Amino acid sequence: MAAAKQLPGPQDLSDDEREALEALLFSLADDEFVIAERYTEWQVRAPTIESDISVANIAQDELGHARLYYDLLEDFGYEEPDLIWERDASEWRHSTLCELPFDEGDWADYVVRSFLFDEAEYIRLQALEGSSYPRLADRIEKILAEETYHREHARSWLERLCEDDESRARMQDAVDRLMPHALTLFAPTDEDIEARIDDLGIRTENLLTMREEWLDEVVPRLESVGLHVEEAQLPEQYDVHHADFDLPDELGRDQSHTDAWFDLYDEFTKSYRELGRHEAAKIMKDPDDE
Amino acid sequence: MQSIGGPIGKWLLTIVYGREMDIETVKERAGPREFSAKDDMPEEYRKAATRMIQFHANSEIMGAYLERPFIRQAPSLERKLAFSAKTQDELGHGQLLYRAAESLGIKTRDEMLDELANGEGKFLNCFHYPMESWVETPMIAFFVDGAAMRRQATLKNTSWEPYAHAMDKVCFEEGFHVKHGEAILHELMTGSKKEQEMTQEAFEKWWPRIIQFFGPTDKQSTHHGFASEVGLKQMSNDELRRAFLNSYVPKAEKYGLEIPDTPRITKNDDGTYEVNEDDLDWDEFFQIAKNEYEPGVGQIDGRKKAQEAVAWVRESMDKHEQGIYGGGESPQAAD
Amino acid sequence: MIWEVFRQKKAGDYHTHCGNVHAPDRDMALLFAEVQHGRRMPTNSLWVVPKDEIGEVDTEDVAFGGTTDKSYRWAMTYNFEAAAEEVAASESEQSEAEQQRRSVVEGDD
Repeated sequence: MAAAKQLPGPQDLSDDEREALEALLFSLADDEFVIAERYTEWQVRAPTIESDISVANIAQDELGHARLYYDLLEDFGYEEPDLIWERDASEWRHSTLCELPFDEGDWADYVVRSFLFDEAEYIRLQALEGSSYPRLADRIEKILAEETYHREHARSWLERLCEDDESRARMQDAVDRLMPHALTLFAPTDEDIEARIDDLGIRTENLLTMREEWLDEVVPRLESVGLHVEEAQLPEQYDVHHADFDLPDELGRDQSHTDAWFDLYDEFTKSYRELGRHEAAKIMKDPDDE
Repeated sequence: MQSIGGPIGKWLLTIVYGREMDIETVKERAGPREFSAKDDMPEEYRKAATRMIQFHANSEIMGAYLERPFIRQAPSLERKLAFSAKTQDELGHGQLLYRAAESLGIKTRDEMLDELANGEGKFLNCFHYPMESWVETPMIAFFVDGAAMRRQATLKNTSWEPYAHAMDKVCFEEGFHVKHGEAILHELMTGSKKEQEMTQEAFEKWWPRIIQFFGPTDKQSTHHGFASEVGLKQMSNDELRRAFLNSYVPKAEKYGLEIPDTPRITKNDDGTYEVNEDDLDWDEFFQIAKNEYEPGVGQIDGRKKAQEAVAWVRESMDKHEQGIYGGGESPQAAD
Repeated sequence: MIWEVFRQKKAGDYHTHCGNVHAPDRDMALLFAEVQHGRRMPTNSLWVVPKDEIGEVDTEDVAFGGTTDKSYRWAMTYNFEAAAEEVAASESEQSEAEQQRRSVVEGDD
């Protein structure tokens, strides 16, 4: 894709530009926030103390990334309560992969989910490194640096838990259940807006291309450890018509969500509502002043 | 310890220390960081140290378990990060402490974690009481952690070296926990009237429990004598409780909390505080100490269920480990 | 076979790496290390570990402590007057450690 011209600062964007940026930033931020919210469920419940500490770290990384994206949305006049605490649950844009609850003890779900998510993250972030919106592009390097650990962590667990038949069966269940939801990571918020995101060069690869790259990465990796991916006929290089998957009813990106999301939302906003808060405490420096 | 094993190591140990150190020698030598895994400590010492460190490790895990719902319920993104980080640190402290306990050769970490799940493992009184609301979080994160920190600072000089080493890192990290708790308390007590009232109510509920954190007076405590004679314990319950009151009563008042009428606390002429222990519910305390307090049993069982639900992962990892290293104790070359 | 050697200066200290020896097994490694690394430097105890069993990850590979802001982990982020002395001690240790960590992570960029 030809290098698009740089977009101006947040105050000088046209309405169309701002709409495209907001849609993208909400997808990014909501994905990170919600999947981190689910990851923290493993804290004090992971298989061993060491793995507990690691999953906590990954959750904090993702939350930290959400923080950086939400902060870019604050440029448009929003404050944290508008973005998180008082925003209606039906307005969130995360992929449904992020919101599904974990069954107790289903560490296979965690491993497969983080594998599918982190591989997608990596591809998505690479497509943002050269974003035409400098305030976004500037933050990607730091975020990308932390994703390396996430990918290695997920891949390591994936390989080891596929060594014996019993665990591999659990992993297979997780793949069967999660794969359709993982595909929603590449679902459009709205076709027109996604096209505009690409045209403006806010992202340097479009959703379909990224989806094919992702399939090219995850499917062979899953098959190499003895897992089977339903419907996966690996596409000829980036020919989207070969990957014929059924998507779930709820896509997330278009603001449709599973019931589990609304329960989760009620839980994480509980204190905020109980206390009758109207603002959210900041304790760290503004990301621009770091 | 493996590294000094073998005939030469054994021979050296015999020359230097004789076989098992007798209790009198232990008491004579009992200075800070005096004993480590290469010393052949008498069983009485190893059991007493295991009991103490295991209790400490269990408390880290159960404290984290108590606080974990508030990672989810934190009312701001940055508070959520802090709560996750704090819970993570506590698991880290558990990790260090179980290793320090394991090094005494009495129990493995798996055994200690199983005991915790089965309700045999003991832990701090305060972590038996579930928390319902955000306003309760500083009761643990400020007051209980502040109390714990005071005790832990003294344990850097415990006689079991691996325990002291664990304390170096624990104390290093703990300052964040207490200040994080203090920041939440400050925010609540400068917040709306409703928040202030809710916080005062939580304080009244938790205050007696917090004072009981230090246990009964030393004359009632069964294990204190031996543990301090062999240098495991550095300060008595009474000293620690007094030091805590001297520093935290003024802090509570500074933030606008009213100290409840019971238990009665009197101020001495020298400005120090004294608590009337008869005003505290020791029946409940000892019921808790036996893991028989109903809400606490719920905490233990909840954690047990979680631990059992991921047993399959540990079994799978054990198989993987055996595939690489075989069944032996010490790892062989990986290739 | 190469064995890495860790020396503890005096009881209660940490064992820190001080060198290595060639030896055919653990007992021989201890004998050699005792003379090679313990004969002159103050030594209370030595450990030997097979070199091949040591794994390493360094700042070439990773940014320890992460690259995005993790200041919520540090006591000095919570700006209050210095608390009780045990908190103050921990806070100054943390402040020093975080400065050192940042200079490593950022110096590597």
